[in-house]
Amino acid sequence: MTNKKSFGQKALGLLRGNTVPLMFIVICGICIYLSGFSWSYLLNQVITRMGRNVFLMLSLLIPIMAGMGLNFGMTLGAMAGEIALILVADWQIWGIPGVVLAMLLSIPLSVLMGLMCGKLMNLARGREMITGYILNYFVGGLYQFVVLFMMGSVIPITHSTLKLPRGYGIRTTTDLSNMRQCLDNQWAITVGGVKIPLLTFAIIALLCLFIVWFRRTKLGQDMRAVGQDMEVARDAGIKVERTRIISIVISTVFAGFGMIIYCQNIGNFPTYTAHTQIGMFCIAALLVGGASVERASIGNVFLGVILFHTMFIVAPKAGQSLTASPQIGEYFRVFVSYGVITLALIMYEAKKRRAKSGTGALLAQAQKAQKEEGGARA
Amino acid sequence: MKARKILIRLAVLAALIGVAAWMMVIGRGHTVYLDNKSVEYNGQEYKAFYRVEAAVKGEEKPLRMDARDRVSTICIGQSLHLDLTVTDEKDGQPRSLSVDLKLPYNMDGPILNLPALLNGLPQEAWLDEFIPAPPSEEPEDVELGDEFGGGLGLEGDDVGAIMDA
Repeated sequence: MTNKKSFGQKALGLLRGNTVPLMFIVICGICIYLSGFSWSYLLNQVITRMGRNVFLMLSLLIPIMAGMGLNFGMTLGAMAGEIALILVADWQIWGIPGVVLAMLLSIPLSVLMGLMCGKLMNLARGREMITGYILNYFVGGLYQFVVLFMMGSVIPITHSTLKLPRGYGIRTTTDLSNMRQCLDNQWAITVGGVKIPLLTFAIIALLCLFIVWFRRTKLGQDMRAVGQDMEVARDAGIKVERTRIISIVISTVFAGFGMIIYCQNIGNFPTYTAHTQIGMFCIAALLVGGASVERASIGNVFLGVILFHTMFIVAPKAGQSLTASPQIGEYFRVFVSYGVITLALIMYEAKKRRAKSGTGALLAQAQKAQKEEGGARA
Repeated sequence: MKARKILIRLAVLAALIGVAAWMMVIGRGHTVYLDNKSVEYNGQEYKAFYRVEAAVKGEEKPLRMDARDRVSTICIGQSLHLDLTVTDEKDGQPRSLSVDLKLPYNMDGPILNLPALLNGLPQEAWLDEFIPAPPSEEPEDVELGDEFGGGLGLEGDDVGAIMDA
């Protein structure tokens, strides 16, 4: 009887802990059935989107480890990556060397923006997510100033295919056809009609290994300590502020690399809007994978990208077969995707309160027991 | 200890700059135009070949040029290797030759005149630059999203959608 109960409790705990991914698995299953897509098509699409998005999403893990929540400030790294890509496109550096050069160029920009973001987040401790989110709009304005007014006038841009007809500023779409899928096509193999971009996956695997290794380093342990309790970490001699800034800088640099991988896969990017939703998509996908504001793993990244992007692929078609309008499916996808972020955040808060009240109840019980013991002695 | 740290940092920075410089050299892309057109140099005319086939790395099939034809190919890096099969005149015997060239770094679209090149003329006779016509001068509206600086989020993976379309 006891075993049965504990099994039921375990199952309930598992359900509670994985409500969001389970919900998404069910919705995806229904949408896949309704869409009627073949498995090879779906697999092809999901693998392409994994190669495109996983690196960006992995960049979110380190700030979570440092207790800074979901880093909406990753968008700053994406902007750095885009500026680097514009310069590389103008210098006509093509293929993999172009991607590598863009990554190298993005590093100083990302570090600068990461430093700024980290310092601001230290000032707004406890409100890192909203600070990062609003910071995006501020830095977005700076980005527009640089790209729309300084490029071509102050920063030399020679190719008229990139510049606006007025002679300065960058066109609304930046063409990267000369580096399109250069990473994805390198060492790509096709298994049963499904293209697997081995080089891209190797780069992702390297980042995963880096994250696993980093967690075991002194700095990684410091970040975990800071993430668990800042005051205790400070008492233990850890430079809390510095550790938090480093975590944001690392995340921003990786986000810049991720954006470059993302854009090379697509072959162009909308100059002024490509970065605006990237943080939101990555965070939504991570939450869909079962992560929370204070806990995320590499497994959450992979599960999230599979579920979130399966939804992207199948929802319009499922909507079309249900209502004869793909737009309905698209609205449904947006509604569910952003609803999930809300749900995940609410569940996180509820869990935190439950844990707090649980600890309170335990404390009260202990105090009561102590009182009774004292009374009995008297 | 501090000096050693600074030294290591400087070495890493130098290595990164070195890699970036190397990428700029090996990744410089050129659109190379091959011309099989008659050319006049120092009062002498060098006639176009009847047919030229050029095998270039990265192209699935050899590029075929009849007299007065122009073809284009892309070349990443500064070295271009051409395997040419040249037929001088109709019903003539084709001959094979290989050409290795260094492309100028600052030239986006070098035009190589094959009759001048294969007749051993100096570079100024066979190398020219392709200047593309300026793109449409219609003013382009820059879409910066809504008044809050972003879209409504309804566009989804919008960049991907552009390519899928």
